Amino acid sequence: MADVSVPSLILFIASIVIAAGVAGVLIDTVTGISGALDDRGADVAENIRTDVEVISDSESAVYNGADGTVTLYVKNTGRRAIPATNESFDVIVNAQYQSNVTVAIVDGSAEWTPHGVVEVQIGGLNLDAGDHQVRLVVSGDEETFRFNT
Amino acid sequence: MGFGVSGSTAVIFLGVLIASGTLYTTTAGTAEQVTEARDTEGEELLDRRNTVIDVTAVVYNTTSGTLNVTVTNNGSTTLSVEDTSLLVDNEYVLPDSTAVDGDPDTDIWAPDQGLALGVNANTTSALDADTTPDRVKVVAENGVAASNTTVEAVS
Repeated sequence: MADVSVPSLILFIASIVIAAGVAGVLIDTVTGISGALDDRGADVAENIRTDVEVISDSESAVYNGADGTVTLYVKNTGRRAIPATNESFDVIVNAQYQSNVTVAIVDGSAEWTPHGVVEVQIGGLNLDAGDHQVRLVVSGDEETFRFNT
Repeated sequence: MGFGVSGSTAVIFLGVLIASGTLYTTTAGTAEQVTEARDTEGEELLDRRNTVIDVTAVVYNTTSGTLNVTVTNNGSTTLSVEDTSLLVDNEYVLPDSTAVDGDPDTDIWAPDQGLALGVNANTTSALDADTTPDRVKVVAENGVAASNTTVEAVS
Protein backbone atom coordinates (compact mmCIF):
# COMPACT_ATOMS: atom_id res chain seq x y z
CA MET A 1 0.00 0.00 0.00
CA ALA A 2 2.81 2.33 0.95
CA ASP A 3 4.57 1.43 -2.33
CA VAL A 4 1.59 2.73 -4.33
CA SER A 5 0.85 5.79 -2.20
CA VAL A 6 4.30 7.42 -2.24
CA PRO A 7 4.69 7.71 -6.04
CA SER A 8 1.04 8.77 -6.33
CA LEU A 9 1.62 11.48 -3.74
CA ILE A 10 4.75 12.66 -5.54
CA LEU A 11 2.86 12.77 -8.87
CA PHE A 12 -0.05 14.57 -7.22
CA ILE A 13 2.21 17.22 -5.69
CA ALA A 14 4.15 17.60 -8.96
CA SER A 15 0.95 18.08 -11.01
CA ILE A 16 -0.40 20.64 -8.54
CA VAL A 17 2.92 22.56 -8.58
CA ILE A 18 3.02 22.58 -12.39
CA ALA A 19 -0.65 23.65 -12.58
CA ALA A 20 0.00 26.41 -10.05
CA GLY A 21 3.00 27.57 -12.12
CA VAL A 22 0.95 27.64 -15.32
CA ALA A 23 -1.90 29.51 -13.58
CA GLY A 24 0.61 31.97 -12.06
CA VAL A 25 2.18 32.73 -15.44
CA LEU A 26 -1.28 33.14 -16.99
CA ILE A 27 -2.43 35.57 -14.29
CA ASP A 28 0.84 37.52 -14.50
CA THR A 29 0.62 37.84 -18.30
CA VAL A 30 -3.03 38.86 -18.27
CA THR A 31 -2.37 41.44 -15.52
CA GLY A 32 0.38 42.92 -17.71
CA ILE A 33 -1.94 43.06 -20.73
CA SER A 34 -4.67 44.64 -18.58
CA GLY A 35 -2.27 47.34 -17.35
CA ALA A 36 -1.19 48.14 -20.91
CA LEU A 37 -4.84 48.23 -22.07
CA ASP A 38 -5.76 50.56 -19.21
CA ASP A 39 -2.88 52.94 -20.06
CA ARG A 40 -3.74 52.87 -23.77
CA GLY A 41 -7.41 53.57 -23.01
CA ALA A 42 -6.48 56.55 -20.84
CA ASP A 43 -4.18 57.87 -23.62
CA VAL A 44 -6.87 57.48 -26.29
CA ALA A 45 -9.47 59.20 -24.08
CA GLU A 46 -6.99 62.04 -23.42
CA ASN A 47 -6.30 62.42 -27.14
CA ILE A 48 -10.04 62.57 -27.87
CA ARG A 49 -10.49 65.25 -25.21
CA THR A 50 -7.64 67.33 -26.68
CA ASP A 51 -8.51 69.87 -29.36
CA VAL A 52 -6.75 73.09 -30.26
CA GLU A 53 -7.46 75.71 -32.89
CA VAL A 54 -5.11 78.29 -34.42
CA ILE A 55 -7.08 81.54 -34.25
CA SER A 56 -4.52 83.86 -35.83
CA ASP A 57 -5.41 85.47 -39.12
CA SER A 58 -3.58 84.31 -42.22
CA GLU A 59 -4.11 87.69 -43.81
CA SER A 60 -2.34 89.66 -41.12
CA ALA A 61 1.41 89.62 -40.75
CA VAL A 62 2.16 86.65 -38.50
CA TYR A 63 5.79 86.61 -39.62
CA ASN A 64 8.15 89.23 -38.27
CA GLY A 65 11.01 89.37 -40.77
CA ALA A 66 13.23 91.56 -38.55
CA ASP A 67 13.14 89.07 -35.62
CA GLY A 68 12.63 85.96 -37.74
CA THR A 69 9.65 84.91 -35.64
CA VAL A 70 6.21 83.60 -36.37
CA THR A 71 3.61 84.41 -33.71
CA LEU A 72 0.43 82.36 -33.54
CA TYR A 73 -2.46 82.42 -31.11
CA VAL A 74 -3.81 78.98 -30.25
CA LYS A 75 -7.11 78.39 -28.48
CA ASN A 76 -7.80 75.31 -26.39
CA THR A 77 -11.12 74.07 -27.76
CA GLY A 78 -10.89 70.69 -26.05
CA ARG A 79 -12.02 69.61 -22.60
CA ARG A 80 -8.77 69.26 -20.70
CA ALA A 81 -6.09 71.65 -19.48
CA ILE A 82 -2.86 71.37 -21.48
CA PRO A 83 0.52 72.35 -19.97
CA ALA A 84 1.50 75.65 -21.58
CA THR A 85 5.10 74.70 -22.31
CA ASN A 86 6.98 74.14 -25.53
CA GLU A 87 7.12 70.43 -24.67
CA SER A 88 3.38 70.20 -25.31
CA PHE A 89 3.88 71.37 -28.90
CA ASP A 90 5.57 69.75 -31.85
CA VAL A 91 6.07 72.52 -34.37
CA ILE A 92 6.91 71.90 -38.01
CA VAL A 93 7.46 74.87 -40.33
CA ASN A 94 7.74 74.02 -44.04
CA ALA A 95 8.47 70.37 -43.21
CA GLN A 96 11.26 71.29 -40.78
CA TYR A 97 10.97 70.55 -37.07
CA GLN A 98 11.41 73.66 -34.92
CA SER A 99 12.80 73.57 -31.40
CA ASN A 100 13.01 77.32 -30.78
CA VAL A 101 9.43 77.61 -29.53
CA THR A 102 8.14 79.67 -26.63
CA VAL A 103 4.61 79.40 -25.27
CA ALA A 104 2.93 82.03 -23.09
CA ILE A 105 -0.60 82.24 -21.75
CA VAL A 106 -2.17 85.51 -22.85
CA ASP A 107 -5.68 85.37 -21.41
CA GLY A 108 -4.61 86.06 -17.83
CA SER A 109 -5.14 82.51 -16.50
CA ALA A 110 -2.54 80.50 -14.60
CA GLU A 111 -2.93 77.46 -16.85
CA TRP A 112 -4.03 76.73 -20.37
CA THR A 113 -7.53 75.62 -19.45
CA PRO A 114 -10.31 74.82 -21.96
CA HIS A 115 -11.26 77.94 -24.00
CA GLY A 116 -8.00 79.65 -23.00
CA VAL A 117 -5.56 81.20 -25.46
CA VAL A 118 -1.77 80.90 -25.64
CA GLU A 119 0.74 82.72 -27.79
CA VAL A 120 3.15 80.40 -29.59
CA GLN A 121 6.28 82.12 -30.83
CA ILE A 122 8.50 80.22 -33.24
CA GLY A 123 11.93 81.81 -33.47
CA GLY A 124 15.05 81.34 -35.58
CA LEU A 125 13.20 81.41 -38.89
CA ASN A 126 14.36 82.89 -42.16
CA LEU A 127 11.40 82.69 -44.52
CA ASP A 128 11.49 83.77 -48.13
CA ALA A 129 8.59 85.57 -49.78
CA GLY A 130 5.86 83.09 -50.67
CA ASP A 131 3.52 80.58 -49.12
CA HIS A 132 4.41 78.82 -45.89
CA GLN A 133 2.87 76.18 -43.70
CA VAL A 134 3.06 75.69 -39.93
CA ARG A 135 1.93 72.39 -38.45
CA LEU A 136 1.26 72.18 -34.73
CA VAL A 137 0.81 68.82 -33.03
CA VAL A 138 -0.59 68.78 -29.47
CA SER A 139 -1.28 65.36 -27.92
CA GLY A 140 -2.05 63.84 -31.30
CA ASP A 141 -4.24 66.75 -32.44
CA GLU A 142 -2.83 68.29 -35.60
CA GLU A 143 -3.46 71.82 -36.77
CA THR A 144 -2.18 73.27 -40.02
CA PHE A 145 -1.82 77.01 -40.52
CA ARG A 146 -0.94 78.44 -43.92
CA PHE A 147 0.19 81.98 -44.47
CA ASN A 148 1.90 84.16 -46.99
CA THR A 149 4.91 86.44 -46.49
CA MET B 1 -3.42 9.96 -10.50
CA GLY B 2 -7.10 10.82 -10.47
CA PHE B 3 -6.71 13.32 -7.63
CA GLY B 4 -3.70 14.86 -9.34
CA VAL B 5 -5.62 15.55 -12.57
CA SER B 6 -8.63 16.92 -10.69
CA GLY B 7 -6.49 19.10 -8.44
CA SER B 8 -4.37 20.58 -11.24
CA THR B 9 -7.47 21.18 -13.39
CA ALA B 10 -9.06 23.04 -10.50
CA VAL B 11 -5.92 25.18 -10.01
CA ILE B 12 -5.69 26.05 -13.73
CA PHE B 13 -9.43 26.76 -13.85
CA LEU B 14 -9.02 29.12 -10.89
CA GLY B 15 -6.12 30.85 -12.66
CA VAL B 16 -8.19 31.27 -15.86
CA LEU B 17 -11.10 32.63 -13.80
CA ILE B 18 -8.92 35.24 -12.05
CA ALA B 19 -7.25 36.25 -15.34
CA SER B 20 -10.61 36.59 -17.13
CA GLY B 21 -11.98 38.69 -14.28
CA THR B 22 -9.03 41.07 -14.40
CA LEU B 23 -9.17 41.36 -18.20
CA TYR B 24 -12.92 41.95 -18.25
CA THR B 25 -12.76 44.67 -15.56
CA THR B 26 -10.01 46.54 -17.42
CA THR B 27 -11.61 46.16 -20.85
CA ALA B 28 -14.99 47.36 -19.60
CA GLY B 29 -13.41 50.36 -17.83
CA THR B 30 -11.34 51.33 -20.86
CA ALA B 31 -14.26 50.95 -23.26
CA GLU B 32 -16.44 53.11 -21.02
CA GLN B 33 -13.75 55.80 -20.77
CA VAL B 34 -13.26 55.95 -24.56
CA THR B 35 -17.01 55.82 -25.29
CA GLU B 36 -17.66 58.66 -22.86
CA ALA B 37 -14.91 60.78 -24.45
CA ARG B 38 -16.33 60.08 -27.94
CA ASP B 39 -19.88 60.92 -26.80
CA THR B 40 -18.79 64.27 -25.39
CA GLU B 41 -16.77 64.96 -28.55
CA GLY B 42 -19.88 64.26 -30.64
CA GLU B 43 -21.94 66.64 -28.51
CA GLU B 44 -19.28 69.35 -28.85
CA LEU B 45 -19.19 68.82 -32.61
CA LEU B 46 -22.95 69.29 -32.75
CA ASP B 47 -22.63 72.50 -30.68
CA ARG B 48 -19.90 73.70 -33.03
CA ARG B 49 -22.05 73.01 -36.09
CA ASN B 50 -24.89 74.95 -34.50
CA THR B 51 -22.69 77.96 -33.79
CA VAL B 52 -22.73 80.96 -36.10
CA ILE B 53 -21.42 84.35 -35.06
CA ASP B 54 -21.27 87.52 -37.13
CA VAL B 55 -19.32 90.68 -36.46
CA THR B 56 -22.02 93.19 -37.28
CA ALA B 57 -20.28 96.46 -36.43
CA VAL B 58 -16.79 97.65 -35.61
CA VAL B 59 -16.51 101.28 -34.61
CA TYR B 60 -13.23 102.93 -33.69
CA ASN B 61 -13.23 106.31 -32.00
CA THR B 62 -10.05 108.07 -33.12
CA THR B 63 -10.38 110.77 -30.46
CA SER B 64 -10.76 108.58 -27.38
CA GLY B 65 -9.02 105.54 -28.88
CA THR B 66 -11.82 103.15 -28.01
CA LEU B 67 -12.85 100.24 -30.14
CA ASN B 68 -16.39 98.89 -29.96
CA VAL B 69 -17.13 95.55 -31.56
CA THR B 70 -20.67 94.19 -31.85
CA VAL B 71 -21.05 90.47 -32.50
CA THR B 72 -24.35 88.66 -32.96
CA ASN B 73 -24.95 85.04 -32.05
CA ASN B 74 -26.83 83.82 -35.14
CA GLY B 75 -26.59 80.14 -34.28
CA SER B 76 -28.56 78.06 -31.82
CA THR B 77 -25.81 77.39 -29.25
CA THR B 78 -25.59 79.43 -26.07
CA LEU B 79 -22.03 80.75 -25.78
CA SER B 80 -19.92 82.09 -22.93
CA VAL B 81 -18.86 85.73 -22.91
CA GLU B 82 -15.81 85.02 -20.74
CA ASP B 83 -14.51 82.36 -23.16
CA THR B 84 -14.88 84.51 -26.27
CA SER B 85 -11.57 85.75 -27.69
CA LEU B 86 -10.91 88.98 -29.53
CA LEU B 87 -8.06 89.64 -31.96
CA VAL B 88 -7.33 93.16 -33.18
CA ASP B 89 -4.87 93.36 -36.08
CA ASN B 90 -3.87 89.79 -35.26
CA GLU B 91 -3.04 90.61 -31.65
CA TYR B 92 -4.90 89.01 -28.76
CA VAL B 93 -6.82 91.61 -26.75
CA LEU B 94 -8.64 91.26 -23.43
CA PRO B 95 -11.79 93.38 -23.70
CA ASP B 96 -12.19 96.12 -21.09
CA SER B 97 -15.95 95.88 -21.16
CA THR B 98 -18.49 93.31 -22.29
CA ALA B 99 -22.27 93.51 -22.48
CA VAL B 100 -24.91 91.16 -23.82
CA ASP B 101 -27.91 93.19 -25.01
CA GLY B 102 -26.92 95.91 -22.53
CA ASP B 103 -26.26 93.60 -19.56
CA PRO B 104 -22.58 93.97 -18.52
CA ASP B 105 -22.61 91.27 -15.78
CA THR B 106 -23.83 88.21 -17.61
CA ASP B 107 -21.66 85.43 -19.01
CA ILE B 108 -24.48 83.93 -21.08
CA TRP B 109 -24.55 84.89 -24.72
CA ALA B 110 -27.75 83.34 -26.00
CA PRO B 111 -28.85 82.95 -29.65
CA ASP B 112 -30.03 86.15 -31.35
CA GLN B 113 -28.33 88.27 -28.69
CA GLY B 114 -25.70 90.85 -29.48
CA LEU B 115 -22.40 90.97 -27.62
CA ALA B 116 -20.69 94.34 -27.34
CA LEU B 117 -16.94 94.28 -26.67
CA GLY B 118 -15.15 97.48 -25.74
CA VAL B 119 -11.39 98.03 -25.80
CA ASN B 120 -9.47 101.15 -24.75
CA ALA B 121 -6.30 102.17 -26.52
CA ASN B 122 -4.42 102.73 -23.26
CA THR B 123 -4.96 99.15 -22.06
CA THR B 124 -3.67 97.36 -25.11
CA SER B 125 -0.66 97.77 -27.36
CA ALA B 126 -2.68 96.55 -30.35
CA LEU B 127 -4.50 99.88 -30.53
CA ASP B 128 -2.98 103.20 -31.33
CA ALA B 129 -5.10 106.31 -30.76
CA ASP B 130 -4.23 107.70 -34.20
CA THR B 131 -4.36 104.56 -36.31
CA THR B 132 -7.61 102.82 -37.06
CA PRO B 133 -7.25 99.02 -36.82
CA ASP B 134 -7.68 97.12 -40.08
CA ARG B 135 -9.01 93.81 -38.96
CA VAL B 136 -11.01 92.49 -36.04
CA LYS B 137 -11.62 88.81 -35.39
CA VAL B 138 -13.88 87.30 -32.75
CA VAL B 139 -13.54 83.64 -31.81
CA ALA B 140 -16.26 81.83 -29.86
CA GLU B 141 -15.40 79.33 -27.10
CA ASN B 142 -15.55 76.36 -29.48
CA GLY B 143 -13.27 77.86 -32.13
CA VAL B 144 -15.93 79.22 -34.50
CA ALA B 145 -14.66 82.58 -35.74
CA ALA B 146 -15.93 85.67 -37.49
CA SER B 147 -13.91 88.59 -38.75
CA ASN B 148 -14.58 92.05 -40.03
CA THR B 149 -12.26 94.23 -42.04
CA THR B 150 -14.63 97.16 -42.40
CA VAL B 151 -13.72 99.23 -39.40
CA GLU B 152 -15.72 102.43 -39.17
CA ALA B 153 -13.73 105.36 -37.79
CA VAL B 154 -15.51 108.08 -35.85
CA SER B 155 -14.11 111.02 -33.97
